[in-house]
Amino acid sequence: MDPQALVAAAKYLAAGICMGIGAIGPGVGEGIIGAHALDAMARQPEMANTLLRTMVIADAIAETTGIYSLVVALVLLFVV
Amino acid sequence: MGKAALLRFTVGGIEVALDPVVAGVGFGVTVALALLLLWVRRGLPRDPEAPPSRRAVAVAWITELFQNQVLGGVSPELAHRLFPLVAALFLYVLLCNWAGLLPFVVSPTQNVNVTLGLALLVYGLTHVYGVRAKGVRGHLKGYLEPFPFLLPLNVIGDLGRTLSHGFRLFGNILGGTLLVAVVGGLFAPLVVPAALNLWFGLFMGLIQALVFTLLAVAYIRATAE
Repeated sequence: MDPQALVAAAKYLAAGICMGIGAIGPGVGEGIIGAHALDAMARQPEMANTLLRTMVIADAIAETTGIYSLVVALVLLFVV
Repeated sequence: MGKAALLRFTVGGIEVALDPVVAGVGFGVTVALALLLLWVRRGLPRDPEAPPSRRAVAVAWITELFQNQVLGGVSPELAHRLFPLVAALFLYVLLCNWAGLLPFVVSPTQNVNVTLGLALLVYGLTHVYGVRAKGVRGHLKGYLEPFPFLLPLNVIGDLGRTLSHGFRLFGNILGGTLLVAVVGGLFAPLVVPAALNLWFGLFMGLIQALVFTLLAVAYIRATAE
């Protein structure tokens, strides 16, 4: 088999696996954050503004690892 | 590196090239912001006794909303000092994100150099505000907390925070653009990319600009309060 094609195939496969597994963690994390924020908002609706702000920050931090895997996948696709 | 560049020089063996598209759109966003602010300024009444115009009321409402949402938990004097900086950062990032919606225009924020530059700017400002609030000794002492032997961990945390701050904006904007391009290129109907653009361009652009400013405020607060 042509080694060039093998490298290309490995590249695409690696990018796909990287993005797929990398998206699990942030997905679960953001789900937990959203669920707890909704719980808290339902209990204390007057705190909704503060909770929303904190929730968005927490979401952004939970998302970081997903963004890292996106960057790695992009590097695999376009740079390597 | 064979692409066209406005400016090309080498620093320590690394070639630096100024991309004309990014520089042009970034400059265009700055000009658009200046024009927007001039237009807003013209609508404000000169005479403080006069009844407020519609534009003045709208600007006051937006400003207050922004202050409550972004600077809500910050102490009043720090919020007062931070507001111009944070508002400028938010508007700049927001317009840079939304610039990608225009045909043939590429968002400057989907270039990693732009977002990392903004993150480095915020990183520098955390030190400026930290030194201003606590003095040089007090600011540096913050790195020895809670225990002195955690100093390397604190430094690494600082760097990782700045890197993820920049990469988050870059990854989100570039990811949205790529997704719209892939869906538009593979399945090619007109309606789906338009709806996706609405979501990834307008909504995610706003959310990411908000997240970027909220995190900047949180980082500055951590050193300055």
